[in-house]
Amino acid sequence: MIPDCSVDLAPTNPRELRLRNPVIAASGCFGYGIEYSGVIDVQRLGAFVSKGITPRARAGNPMPRITETPAGMLNAIGLQNPGIRGFVRKYPRLWEQWEVPAIVNISAEAVEDYAMMARILDEQPGIAAIEVNVSCPNVAQGGFCFGWDPEMSADVTRAVRAATSLPLIVKLSPGAIDLAEVALAVEAAGADAISMINTLVGMTIDVRSRRPVLANLTGGLSGPAIRPIAVRMVYQVAAAVRVPVIGMGGIMTLDDALEFFLAGASAVQVGTAIFTQPGVLIRLIDQIVAWLERNGFDALSTIVGMAQPTSPRTHARNLASARTAAG
Amino acid sequence: MVELDLMPEIEGDLVVAREVDCELIRVESVMGDAVLLTLTAPDAVVTQLRAGQFLDVLCRLPGFFDPLLRRPYSVYRVDTTGSTLTLLVRPFGRGSAWLASRPVGTVLNVLGPLGNRFEITPRSNNLLLVAGGVGAAPLVMLAHDAVQRGLNVTFLMGAADVSGLLPTAELPGPVEYQTATDNGTMGHHGFVTELVTDYLVWADQVFACGPEAMFLSLRRVVQANRPGTKPTVQVSVERDMACGLGACLGCVVETRAGLRTSCVQGPIYDMEEVIWE
Repeated sequence: MIPDCSVDLAPTNPRELRLRNPVIAASGCFGYGIEYSGVIDVQRLGAFVSKGITPRARAGNPMPRITETPAGMLNAIGLQNPGIRGFVRKYPRLWEQWEVPAIVNISAEAVEDYAMMARILDEQPGIAAIEVNVSCPNVAQGGFCFGWDPEMSADVTRAVRAATSLPLIVKLSPGAIDLAEVALAVEAAGADAISMINTLVGMTIDVRSRRPVLANLTGGLSGPAIRPIAVRMVYQVAAAVRVPVIGMGGIMTLDDALEFFLAGASAVQVGTAIFTQPGVLIRLIDQIVAWLERNGFDALSTIVGMAQPTSPRTHARNLASARTAAG
Repeated sequence: MVELDLMPEIEGDLVVAREVDCELIRVESVMGDAVLLTLTAPDAVVTQLRAGQFLDVLCRLPGFFDPLLRRPYSVYRVDTTGSTLTLLVRPFGRGSAWLASRPVGTVLNVLGPLGNRFEITPRSNNLLLVAGGVGAAPLVMLAHDAVQRGLNVTFLMGAADVSGLLPTAELPGPVEYQTATDNGTMGHHGFVTELVTDYLVWADQVFACGPEAMFLSLRRVVQANRPGTKPTVQVSVERDMACGLGACLGCVVETRAGLRTSCVQGPIYDMEEVIWE
C-alpha cells in the first residue's frame, strides 16, 4: 500500500489547506510558480508559496543582491514585486487553472497594510492560503521587527485573521528571543499553521574593497549552513504549539527533510535547494513516499515529532534546555 | 511614485530548460590558465542552444553542498552531430577553479539552455565582434553561426598579454581576427576597444562580451565615432545569479524599460538600453 503523505495544514479552518504531499516550494525561491513550469512538473508539488507581496510595488535593493557563503547564500533582494494590486491583476487568474495549491506570502510595515492585503486576497480565486512574513520592520515601532516580539506578531496575525477566512500561516523570524513564545502568541491570535524559519541576518565583507559585499550591507542567510539551527527551532516550537508546523531551512536531501518531520514538522518548505537543483522538489516527494514504505510506515503523520521525547517530564526538561541553549 | 514595470510576462518568460547530467569528454588548455571543457549532452539541449545563451553548471560532486550555487557559462561551441557542447572556463573563484580542474569522465550536472540570445538582424552583412578575455566564449559560437550564414565577421580580441588571447585556429577561416594586449606582446598595444573605430562604418551590428569596464569604453568609442545611430551594439552582461530562471531576482540589470533579469531577459542587452553606472 502506498503510504498516505497528504496533510491538512489548517485542520480547524473550514476552508482547509489540504496538500497531496508535504513538499512546498518556499517563498522567494519559486517566483510565482510560472517561472519553473517549463523545468519541472509544478502541479505535482504539495503547494508553492509566491514571492513576498507588499502593499505597493517595490523595485527592490540595488545590486549586488546575492552572494554565496559556505554551504549557503546571503540574499537582499528587497522584496522586488508588483505590489498587491499588480499581483492580483495577473496571478490569481492563472493559478485558478492550476491543480497545485498556491499560497501568497505577504509583507508590510504596518498592521493595517497586512490586513488590507488579506482583504484583497480573500476575494481572489486561485489562492489556497496566506503566509504572513513577520520578519519586516514595524514602522510604527521605530522599525523594530514584528517577528521578534510576541505581541507585535500577534497583532499582525489578529488583523489578518479578522480580514480573511483563508487558511493563515505565520512565518516566524529566527531573530526572536524566544521563538516558542512568539509561536504561542500567533497561535492564540488565530494562525492556522506556523512556518519556520525565515533566513538569518548575515553579512560578508569583501576584503579587497573593504566594504560589505551586498549593496544592502546585510542579507538573509539560507542554505544547508542554517539547517541545524532550523531543526532545533522547529523541535522547540513543535513541542509548544498545537497547530501544524511547516519546517524549512537548508533542506537539500531526503534525510534533511526527514529531520524536520522527526522534529515535529507536518510539512516542509524547500527554498535555496531549488536554485541549485529545481528537480529536487519532485525527487523529495518520491523519496519521502519510498522511505515511508521501506520503513513500514503507512502515513507520514506517524513520524511527525517522533524525535520528541515520549514522557512529558523528559519533554519539559528537553524543552527547557533547548531554550537555555537558545539564550 | 513612478509606475514600476516589475511584472514578468507570463507567456514570454516561460523558460523551457532541462537539468541534465553531462559527461566531460575532453579538456583542452587555452588562453593561459583557462580550459575548454567539452561535454556530451542530450540533443534536446544541444540543438536548442543559440549563441549568447548559457548553461548553469553545478560545481560540486553529488552529496556535497559547497560551493552551493551553480555557475553560469556562456556556450562556446556546440556540435549537433556529435551531441556535444563546449564551455570556456577560467579559474577565478571556488566554482570555476573546481570546474577547470575536473578530469575527463567527470559527470557534471547542467541546467539549460538559459537566457536570451544574440540577434542578428536580417539585413546585417557585416558583424563586428568585440571580446575581452574569457568573454570570447559566446562570440566564438556567434562567429561560427554567422560564417555559416555567409556573413562577414571581424573578431576583435583583447587580453592582458599574448597568452590570454584566443588561438586563431579557434575561429572559422573566413573571420578577420585582430588582437590587442595590455602589454603589447601581440597585436595592438592597448585596449581592444581602441581597434573598434576603424570598423564602425563597415559594421552593421556590434556584439560584445567582456568586463564591464570594456563595455563603458566601447560605448564611448561607438557613440563618438559611428556615423549615425548605427551600428547598434548587443552586449552580454555578467551578473552573479542564483536560480537562472527569473525567479529569485538576484541578477537584475537596470534598463530604460525597468529592471530586467540577466538570466531570462538577459544576458544579452542592447547597449543603449542598459543604464550604466
